Amino acid sequence: MSLHIICCVKQVPDPETPASQFRVDEAAKKVIPAPGIAPVPSQFDTIGVEAALRIRDALGDVKITVLSLGPESFRDAIKHCLAMGADEGVLINDPALAEADHWVTAQVLAAAIQKLAPYDLVITGRQAVDWDMGVVGPTLAELLGIPCITIVKDVKVQDGKVVAERVLLDGFETVEAPLPAVVTVSNELGEPRYPQLRQIMMAARKQVTVWTAADLGLDPSQLKNRVNIEALYVPQTKVETEFIEGDTVEEKVDRLLQRLREAKLI
Amino acid sequence: MAIEVKVRSLRVRQLLTALSFFTAVALIPLVAAIAVIAASEGMGEATRQVFFNIAKWARILVYAVTAVILLVLAYGPLSRLRLWLLGKKEERWDRPWERARFFLLYGVGQGRLPNDLYAGLMHLLIFWGWTFLFIGTVMLAFHDDFVEYLEGHVYLGYSLALDLAGVAATVGILMALYRRYLWKHPKLRLGSLWDDVALLWLMLAILLTGFVIEGMRVGMTELQGATIDVHGGIASDPDWAPWSPIGFLIGKAALESGASQGFMEMLHKSLWWLHLAMATGWVAWVGYGKISHILLGSANIFLRKLSPTGAALAGTALPPIADFETAERFGAGYLRDFTWKQLMDVDVCVRCGRCEAHCPAYNTGKELTPMGFLQDIKRYLTEMGPRLLAARRKGEEVQDERPVAGDVVSFNTIWDCVTCGACEYQCPLFIEHIPKLMDMRRYLVMEQANMPETAQATLMQLEQRGHPWRGTQLTRTTWIEELAREGVEVPMFDGTQEYLYWVGCTGALQERNVKVTKAIVRLLLQSGVSFGVLGAEETCSGDPARRLGNEYLFQMQAQQNIETFKAKGVRKVIANCPHCFNTIRHEYPQLDGHFEVVHHTQLFAQLVAEGRLQPGTIEELWGFPVTYHDPCYLARHNDIVAEPRQVLQAMGLETVEMERHRKHTFCCGAGGGHMWVEESKGRRINHTRTAEAVASGARVVAVACPFCLQMFEEGAGSVPEAAKQGLQVLDVAELLERSVAYSRAASVR
Repeated sequence: MSLHIICCVKQVPDPETPASQFRVDEAAKKVIPAPGIAPVPSQFDTIGVEAALRIRDALGDVKITVLSLGPESFRDAIKHCLAMGADEGVLINDPALAEADHWVTAQVLAAAIQKLAPYDLVITGRQAVDWDMGVVGPTLAELLGIPCITIVKDVKVQDGKVVAERVLLDGFETVEAPLPAVVTVSNELGEPRYPQLRQIMMAARKQVTVWTAADLGLDPSQLKNRVNIEALYVPQTKVETEFIEGDTVEEKVDRLLQRLREAKLI
Repeated sequence: MAIEVKVRSLRVRQLLTALSFFTAVALIPLVAAIAVIAASEGMGEATRQVFFNIAKWARILVYAVTAVILLVLAYGPLSRLRLWLLGKKEERWDRPWERARFFLLYGVGQGRLPNDLYAGLMHLLIFWGWTFLFIGTVMLAFHDDFVEYLEGHVYLGYSLALDLAGVAATVGILMALYRRYLWKHPKLRLGSLWDDVALLWLMLAILLTGFVIEGMRVGMTELQGATIDVHGGIASDPDWAPWSPIGFLIGKAALESGASQGFMEMLHKSLWWLHLAMATGWVAWVGYGKISHILLGSANIFLRKLSPTGAALAGTALPPIADFETAERFGAGYLRDFTWKQLMDVDVCVRCGRCEAHCPAYNTGKELTPMGFLQDIKRYLTEMGPRLLAARRKGEEVQDERPVAGDVVSFNTIWDCVTCGACEYQCPLFIEHIPKLMDMRRYLVMEQANMPETAQATLMQLEQRGHPWRGTQLTRTTWIEELAREGVEVPMFDGTQEYLYWVGCTGALQERNVKVTKAIVRLLLQSGVSFGVLGAEETCSGDPARRLGNEYLFQMQAQQNIETFKAKGVRKVIANCPHCFNTIRHEYPQLDGHFEVVHHTQLFAQLVAEGRLQPGTIEELWGFPVTYHDPCYLARHNDIVAEPRQVLQAMGLETVEMERHRKHTFCCGAGGGHMWVEESKGRRINHTRTAEAVASGARVVAVACPFCLQMFEEGAGSVPEAAKQGLQVLDVAELLERSVAYSRAASVR
């Protein structure tokens, strides 16, 4: 049985960049990264590709398509996933979609997934590591009308079903769903594999299919964001330091306890 | 520049070491021979009868046997040569005169043997003793069959010289037997194969039988004044006998103990044949066992890697992969992926254990042993090589061939190496360990993506962010902004300055190292050196990627830097990281990037010597002994040991040396990408080295490498003795800055 897995991948500004390198433009309600910050594939999304590759390692006859919505620079993220071992890459690049929120993103991705049909499994990261909203995956499932298993640490395809282990606060649960389905993966699944050089070189030569909204039969003007940012600012953290004085250790401890009780900390 | 002079004086020193050993041993018999020729008078007839007491036809037999033996001898190396040719092509014939010079220095002169005094002396005694005996035998054949010249004074000198050579060789062999059986030296861990042991006993037997034969001959002829069959019969003379001192003593003892003429004849004859059989057998053996290093080792020294940039070791500049598109395989996974010279190396190894004794990985309990992995490959080459040859002839594939990388040589062995170069520096036969290990890393990384998790994380980090410091809160310009707030303007390089100061990732992105970077910049500004920095335009030099096996990433990073350098008009570079220094100096030329590089300690030594920096005494370090830790990539890989010490001496600091220093330095544990790769097991290398620093009595460790700084800082906090002693770790530049500040304060007063 041949299987088709679609992995949705986003490119983000390097999350390891020191926070001091980002500015917030409160008027425009935008985060402005310093120039020169390397864009990288969102870590959870590459873990999604790793999950797909593990399914292929186990079953053999699996085609993996990497799907991304973003500007031309997102091609690098797709190439990275191709180098990891994915078969095909699709980039939806439309300037009209530059401001897409999760809702518009999910609608565009859903249209692309339907165009890529037949498909058996859609894998996304549990969340993108820039805004950390974690809603595109479940929204996709809703729009496609298929089951969704979120935040999993292991995913297998057995007897025409997807079997996944969900991460819970106090352990994990095993969940089954019929195919096709959406699965969002978490870092507990393991490190994404390091690409072999031959695959990097092959990936460099592979063509990435580029679509616009029109190719998907969508009219960008009809796609309205549902998320409105009311305000965007860097939270102020205030640290106050107070030294407890005293002549002896016992006296200092007593006063410290007294201060802590006053502050209702103990 | 000053660097060149340095290298030359070092070579002179090596030459002198070699010559002193050469003369000490070889000149004894020579001087003795000359003395005899000068001192002995009235013995113009003195000579000996060749083939005394032996049938005439033996002469023909000896030549016939010799011919056969030479064929047997030649077959050994030729059969191995066929196996080496399983490997890839590699050019090793360039610059023949330089090669000849190295051969004289390190082959004939044995320039690396004094590194281990006992074993060195032992080997030299055997080598020169045996060589004289061999030459003596050839001379005798020439005398007997062509021109009779061993007569009179010449003969007596000859006889004395050979006896002394025999004594020297015997002493050497006895030293070897003592070391093996009584001392049980740990370096001989792998050396107890039957052939190693049998060889020693055989050589001892050859020497002893030779002496007894001589004794019997002297006893039967010279001591009795008997007529010998020379020039139709002349009388021998008892006065000749003492010029064959050992034979004289043995012969005299035999006569005095009342041995009969018949017994002496019988003993002489039987031992003569035994001696002949053993000696010719030994010659045949030279083609095969450990003793084949006489041929293969010599060839290996001649064929050593010669660097176009003066790199000290083969592992200093790793060979590039020329074309990724056409490369059949990246790195070395199977036997045929090594070059013929790399396969030859494994056959040359005599398991002397010098590499292992100095390997930081092995000595802290890791799996890697340099001679061990060579022997593993050798064993597999012997087992699988002939089958591969046969299959290649038939155009077939061997189905059950095991990969060398990760199987014959274990995964941990390959990843334990810190590329410090101690093995290569010690090896008397110039075996090139590091490129082999790095080629296997390349295979594991680029073909198999099989590496320790920490190595993978580092390579991903390098690829995505252009520096190895994951999670740093600094950027490449943070320190420049901080200095600007102090009122220090850091010049940006724009092509008008003489030097580019290459800060390096660690110097910019690690808080502790930023202090060193700032000290260097302040010192450069004070001394008026014309320099600039690249700031955000720097990226990793490529050293970590290359030494973690990702040659592709190295070449991309190096090319990017070379393009930046060329676009900006960089000609001279100051580097404070020895790893960047080494890569820019020796590895960028492989990619057509030719820049003059100087390490900050070299430049500061020069500035101090010129009086442009005036160090004063650092009062708070009075009574604090300082030890200098040589970074591998300065000392062993680049011969830079004097300049950092000159800087420290100029400050008037009380300096002490650690046990292992200068080119014998012991790695801090961070080379070869191990700054970011977790050690597999055993004691941490940096803890071992920190303990050594403490044992030297030092209170301050002066370093000249950002990785060493990190490693010692960690060690100073974790090694209890270091914490107790309050060990401080400071870069030479930090000390110099404080020292210069004192001298300026003093001059203001």
